Amino acid sequence: MPVYRQNILLEVARGIKAFLNFEAGLTRGPTPGEGGGIQSLEEAHKRLEDRNRQIAELEKKVRESRSDAPAGDLKPENVVWMFGTARVGSTWLGSMMDEPTGHTMWHEPLVGALFGGFYYGRGAHRGGKHGILGGPDEKRSRAIRAFILASAHEKFPEVSGDGYLVVKEPNGSNGAPLLAQALPESRMIFLVRDPRDVVSSNLSGKSEGGWTAEAYKRGRRQGTPPPSDPKAIVRKGAKKYLEFIGRSKEAYDAHEGPKVLVRYEELRADTLGTMKRIYSELGIPMDEDEVARAIKKHSWENIPEEKKGEGKFYRKATPGGWREDLTPDQIQMVEDITGPLLQEFYPEQQISRAGV
Amino acid sequence: MRVAKKPGLVSGGSLLPVLKNRVAFEVARGIKAFLNVELGLIRGETPGAESGLTDAKADTREKDTRVRQLGQIGRRLAGRARTVAEPAAGDGAQDNRVRPENMIWIFGSGRSGSTWLRSMMSDMERHRVWEEPMVGQLFGVFHKQAQEGQLRSANFIMGEPTRKGWTRSIRNFVLDGAHYANPRLGPDDYLVVKEPNGSTGAPLLMEALPESRMILLVRDPRDVAASVLDGARKGSWLYERKDKGRWKENALADTNPEAITRRRANMYMTQVGNARDAYEAHEGPKVLVRYEELRADTLETMKRIYSELGIPAGDKDLTRVVEKHSWENIPEENKGEGKFYRKATPGGWREDLTPKQAGIVEKITAPLLEEFYPA
Repeated sequence: MPVYRQNILLEVARGIKAFLNFEAGLTRGPTPGEGGGIQSLEEAHKRLEDRNRQIAELEKKVRESRSDAPAGDLKPENVVWMFGTARVGSTWLGSMMDEPTGHTMWHEPLVGALFGGFYYGRGAHRGGKHGILGGPDEKRSRAIRAFILASAHEKFPEVSGDGYLVVKEPNGSNGAPLLAQALPESRMIFLVRDPRDVVSSNLSGKSEGGWTAEAYKRGRRQGTPPPSDPKAIVRKGAKKYLEFIGRSKEAYDAHEGPKVLVRYEELRADTLGTMKRIYSELGIPMDEDEVARAIKKHSWENIPEEKKGEGKFYRKATPGGWREDLTPDQIQMVEDITGPLLQEFYPEQQISRAGV
Repeated sequence: MRVAKKPGLVSGGSLLPVLKNRVAFEVARGIKAFLNVELGLIRGETPGAESGLTDAKADTREKDTRVRQLGQIGRRLAGRARTVAEPAAGDGAQDNRVRPENMIWIFGSGRSGSTWLRSMMSDMERHRVWEEPMVGQLFGVFHKQAQEGQLRSANFIMGEPTRKGWTRSIRNFVLDGAHYANPRLGPDDYLVVKEPNGSTGAPLLMEALPESRMILLVRDPRDVAASVLDGARKGSWLYERKDKGRWKENALADTNPEAITRRRANMYMTQVGNARDAYEAHEGPKVLVRYEELRADTLETMKRIYSELGIPAGDKDLTRVVEKHSWENIPEENKGEGKFYRKATPGGWREDLTPKQAGIVEKITAPLLEEFYPA
């Protein structure tokens, strides 16, 4: 639940300091400051020990309750999903999260696309008992869980014990609800970005000379190339955003494990602060120095100039750049298609109605 | 675990005047809004012990949250375990799992007589049916649509470097799915899997289940196209049933029959082509059946099927199921143009397709037509 905290301390006279502590927010448990009735440090330590013991017992119980899938030593609760959609900064965030010791990134397995594309798409009519993903949720979740854990173990046998497996899955987010249901104890990052910037980035890559268009041209990608009509690219991009961010949100809202919502814009504005919040809300211990080094290593400034710019994978990383990139008609199209999500995640941003 | 240590400024010992105000109220069920303000003056250094108390309180709150989360997850998983265990209660889920060698897959394409064949087989002793699970669609279409770069990657869920692993996962996935769909299947029972529309994934499924049995059921692609065209016309069975194939939206059979003919022929190439590849590679018991043979001499073809699959079947039983499901025993009102049971007449395409439509099918399916129906 959102919390705002501010601590201010200033010296007003020699040896005397004035302080102001301010906290406001929403909570499901005891309110901060109540401290659950804790009055002394000794009492707090006793309570902490008690909670640690409870957590260890509950974690054991959860492990025992999980399916009999050959999961190896990877703890399902140490799987960290990163959902959203393409062009929201998941490569950047994934690179930073791959750095700390004991953290491993699973780069775009597309397991969500495998199951989501079928369940919500071409196999949606096979919902009965005979359909492979039909029948009760429990049956489906158990099968998907076993499949994911076995695959993860096969690919990353080295991730065990306290290791974390960060699954960068923006392009598999159309199956996010199925994956989250299958691994209810896993952790989840829901990464969003202004849809107008997402579509703008998409348009740049798919236009003549752009990195996606070139990949098709040079045979690095097969199948139907993206449409050449900018209007069609924009419409398709906005619809994909609606589907993928919509499914991610559905999964995020329902997920009971640790989770965090991250806006790309916040990550750009205060990377260290946002990274600290991510690890804190996911309940993952972090070494601040290690994270600071990862941030520096993967900063925009450290990407070689020749790899950045219009039409390239690393384009401009400028929130609000859509105002320069999209035409009024294109803006209106994106806003019309993604309206409910835009309002929800960017309520402070007036819908422009193409009046820019 | 706390991540960032914030300065704890609340002090107890050497304080000058302090103002504390805490407000909390419930805004929704189980959710409270809160506002805490503390301000004042402090003398000397920030007290370490008291700072520790603030952090400890914060740590405790985080642990409380984790305890609640784990409790919820544990309850959900326990509920799931009960639900999942129910069908197998008393007889042991693992023991009751389908034996892969007793699975009989029917691959080919839709409108090739697979419903008729599975109906006859389902009435044989100790036979049960898994009706169009579409597991071949799930894995086959996804794999077929993957980019070359993805297939080369160990990260991709179905990447070549870890093929052995995901093939084993598919095997478990299928066997679990078969068990849930047919919980009462006995250890010596056969499971007939009618999967013509999942034939794109036939090579993957047969690789995952090399000991299972396989029937490759083919039919002249021109008759298949004629059957689909008839069913998709306005008022016909495909058009009128729930719109899974978007027949109504497209209404192509009436507005652009050549387009639907082309689409169907391409689908035939993919499905029958993949089923044929799986058949050639399969080392378990297998049999190739032409719909036309099955129509011409059903009993003899059924005997051949069972013989080649190595499944004991008495003539009496086979005669019984052939008789029961014969074309003649389908009520007249259920048969005819526009119905699921249409005409069952091999070569009927000569009357049903225009020369242009027949030409489209022949051109697209030429390799398979030549292989299975040489002129």
